[in-house]
Amino acid sequence: MSETSVKPGCPVAGERKVFMTGNEAVCWAALAAGAEIMYGYPITPQNEIMHYWTRNVPKFGRRFLQTEDELSAGFTTIGGVLAGRRAFTATAGPGNVLMQEPLSMAEAMRIPVVVVIQQRGGPSTATVIYSQQEVTLTCFGGNGEGLRIVYSTSSLQDLYDYTIKAFNTAWKYRFPTFVLGDGYQAKMRESLNIYDPAARGIDMVPTEPFVGKPGKIGEGREAAHLRNAYSVEEELEVAMARDTSEYERVTPEIIEYDSYNTEGADIVVIAHGIVFRSAAMAVRELAGQGKKVGYFRPITLRPFPREQLQQAVARAKMLLVAESAYGQLLKLVKENLYGGPCNLPIKTILRPGVGITPEEVTEACNALLDGKGA
Amino acid sequence: MSKPVKIALAGEGGQGVQSVAQILMDAAALEGKEALYIPNFGIEQRGGVSIAFVQIGDEKIGAPKFKIGDIVIALSDRAVRRTQMYVGPQTLFVYDSGIQGVEGDLPKNAKQVLAIPALEIATKKLKPRVFNILIMGAVIGATHVVTLDKAKESIEKRLGYKFEKNPELRELDFKALQEGINLVAGMGVS
Repeated sequence: MSETSVKPGCPVAGERKVFMTGNEAVCWAALAAGAEIMYGYPITPQNEIMHYWTRNVPKFGRRFLQTEDELSAGFTTIGGVLAGRRAFTATAGPGNVLMQEPLSMAEAMRIPVVVVIQQRGGPSTATVIYSQQEVTLTCFGGNGEGLRIVYSTSSLQDLYDYTIKAFNTAWKYRFPTFVLGDGYQAKMRESLNIYDPAARGIDMVPTEPFVGKPGKIGEGREAAHLRNAYSVEEELEVAMARDTSEYERVTPEIIEYDSYNTEGADIVVIAHGIVFRSAAMAVRELAGQGKKVGYFRPITLRPFPREQLQQAVARAKMLLVAESAYGQLLKLVKENLYGGPCNLPIKTILRPGVGITPEEVTEACNALLDGKGA
Repeated sequence: MSKPVKIALAGEGGQGVQSVAQILMDAAALEGKEALYIPNFGIEQRGGVSIAFVQIGDEKIGAPKFKIGDIVIALSDRAVRRTQMYVGPQTLFVYDSGIQGVEGDLPKNAKQVLAIPALEIATKKLKPRVFNILIMGAVIGATHVVTLDKAKESIEKRLGYKFEKNPELRELDFKALQEGINLVAGMGVS
């Protein structure tokens, strides 16, 4: 690949409040983060990320390659990163399924690709609208151990912040990093602040080529030995031990969560992504009425904030898990409660592919507080 | 904490409900309010009922979609039927009085059901093309979510490029806005 001609200066000057859609916000965040190239294949509801990106490519000296499908979008993104470019792609639903093969390779070779997922309904084509049904796929989609970092956003501000952050997390830790949004966040329009990362004191982690480095192999440097294939079982075991222990070592630095009023709460509501907004509104309103309700929101779904969840629910009598899927967050919650208060009753609002309103969460909480069950 | 005003606008593709939603949202932004707008979208590129969900309030909006609207506006027979699900006891349901054959489909559980001759006024007194702006006026008249000034400023922002070529259109749009406000003013909407 020839040198890119990224024009100097950040496309977003300083900081300003804007009203835009989530797909626009992702595009501006990638531009502001200094992403050099996007690879992609169209699929609703993430199409406008590509549209806005391609519209801005000439203006800011960036690049775009439309591939023939999501398999190649994933592999070309890996290629871009191997060449030392801050590269990313975006997809959704069936595209996310197809992309798992290259993403599994990125996991194997520790390639810092950044992938934005705008979840749509599933399985298969289902709806182009919205869901939280790509949690398991995004966290554990490959034929491996899910050595990935997944940020679940709940607002357009989050989409902007975590898209920028994803590039730094990926390049710092060298694990594939995902921004997990959804069709609602993609298409809705609300206020957010967009900014030049430098104006907030955020330094972008520098990129470097993985292959074709200067110097002579064996003299000035080691060979860049990036492997995704092994002929001996024990070799794979050594590689996996290295990568899994590295993943576990950096986990405490990466995990993010939010919690509120969990200290004296009888009920802790657990939600992520856009459903968290409904949970937070309901919980704050109920807490304002003096009711013993709190919330816990995992921001990183992978790695999961296990100890923080266990602490947050330590004194709770009951949990309420709300998600627009049939138990994908629930599975993560159950797994991560083991060793902590794992016998807590868990009530659920599971609505695959459908939004959940604050009123529904309030109603469920009130029913539980009245001892009626949800 | 004051609750945001929840508005659902529904019509046929081309009636301009999505544009109205965006202009309303921009007006709210000019007021310094918080707002959230999301269109309904599906696999079909055309042919479905087009619905815009808008929420305007003083604080950041929670969930993007809502179950029950404070005001639900239906601009076609199909839209009247399709929007039943967003109507509840606090809903002001507004539809165009020119829509035929929906008497049996009007919501029975709304706080108030209002038929307004929007299309007739747009066609006879103004021009059919400003129908959606007239509807926007009706929304503002019924909810006061934004001021007339900011509504005009927002229209100017979005349609200014058209007004430059055709200044009469500005007058027409502003008249339509006022007509819409007047339409609901005398109808006992709080």
